[in-house]
Amino acid sequence: MSARWAAACTPARQGAAALALGVLLAWPAARAWLEATMWRHMLLQFPLWMLAGACLAGVLPPALRARAARWNAHGIAGLVGVGVVLSVLMVPRVLDLALRDPGVEATKCAALLLAGAALRASWGAAGLVVQGFFLGNVLPMTAVVGQLYSDTPLRLCNAYLQDDQARLGAWLVGVAALLALAWLARVAWWLVRREATGQALAPDSP
Amino acid sequence: MLRTALLSVLLLLGGYAAARWLTHDFQVWTDEGARRLEVALRPVDTPRVAVEGPGVAAPDLPALLAQGGGVTIVDFIYTRCQSVCLSLGSSFQQLQAALQADQAAGRSANVRLLSISFDGVHDGPAQLQAYARGQHADPALWRFVRVPAAAQEQALLHRLGVVVVPDGRGDYEHNAALLVFDAHGRMRRVFDLAEQQLALDYARHLAGGAP
Repeated sequence: MSARWAAACTPARQGAAALALGVLLAWPAARAWLEATMWRHMLLQFPLWMLAGACLAGVLPPALRARAARWNAHGIAGLVGVGVVLSVLMVPRVLDLALRDPGVEATKCAALLLAGAALRASWGAAGLVVQGFFLGNVLPMTAVVGQLYSDTPLRLCNAYLQDDQARLGAWLVGVAALLALAWLARVAWWLVRREATGQALAPDSP
Repeated sequence: MLRTALLSVLLLLGGYAAARWLTHDFQVWTDEGARRLEVALRPVDTPRVAVEGPGVAAPDLPALLAQGGGVTIVDFIYTRCQSVCLSLGSSFQQLQAALQADQAAGRSANVRLLSISFDGVHDGPAQLQAYARGQHADPALWRFVRVPAAAQEQALLHRLGVVVVPDGRGDYEHNAALLVFDAHGRMRRVFDLAEQQLALDYARHLAGGAP
């Protein structure tokens, strides 16, 4: 299944997907729809730009990827970059500024695109410890910001309604919890499988 | 590994610089906070938009603010409002009571109140007059205007940083606040609704001889 999937995802197709997604996200009507509510802005537009970036990472030729990897041992620099981008973009002012300042909007989208590419290029190389450290920082931060968004009596963004903000807050907490559970489940599955293969191998080993 | 460490440090520094710029040296986290800080540092000139309202005779907003040479505390309203404007209204009623007490005590501070409607289509002079009566407004202290031309209304809201969002139920949410203007028609400070006393004290101070 995964081999077939990998064979279907040729660099050309990934490039086309990145381009199509990028054009769609930059298209004014789609942008206006995505940014009309706070939750779509943060929970739909942000991940979609990152997805476009992740597709883009598949286009890089192996030589360039190898050169980039020398600056990204164990995926550390890439994940630091992703963490930095996500932290800065959680400042509520970004959402208001992105709506009225084209420069901030372009920077935001470019940063998310690069973060998506960096995440894909770094995740596999990172290993469980670095992955855990990264998620251990980013997910609690997301949950705390979500809690803040849903609990504060203040409207944090001038352009968005208070109930929209509260809904986004609740969903940020939910997404952070789901991602944490998914990663833990994956780690557990990996450990169980390793143990199972270890036992199967045991009789053969001296 | 050294290159990775170097790149990581550079990325962290870049993020720090971006966050610092975004939050004005970590002082504000919201755009409203940034707007208030920027206004306090650099007063904002009022655009020359035509205004009309019951008992108001001024060609434009700066001229209205210059009348009497005093300080004006401004809020933005719409007369159909049932939520935050009611608290804005009662906030302005309390300010009016404080200013009347000043006058009665013979120490008039030359501070006045002005409510500007951002629903110019609906809030004609008659609606504003009825709203003013409902608020028990003293016409000498508290006046009501609208900006009849829609384009000018947008220009005014944009310049003063007032963002109005329809809430989908026929009402609006907006960054309600108390805006203090000097006699030159410049917005000098923006206060939160909860900072009513502070806004009044600042306006009194501004009217009492500050440039």
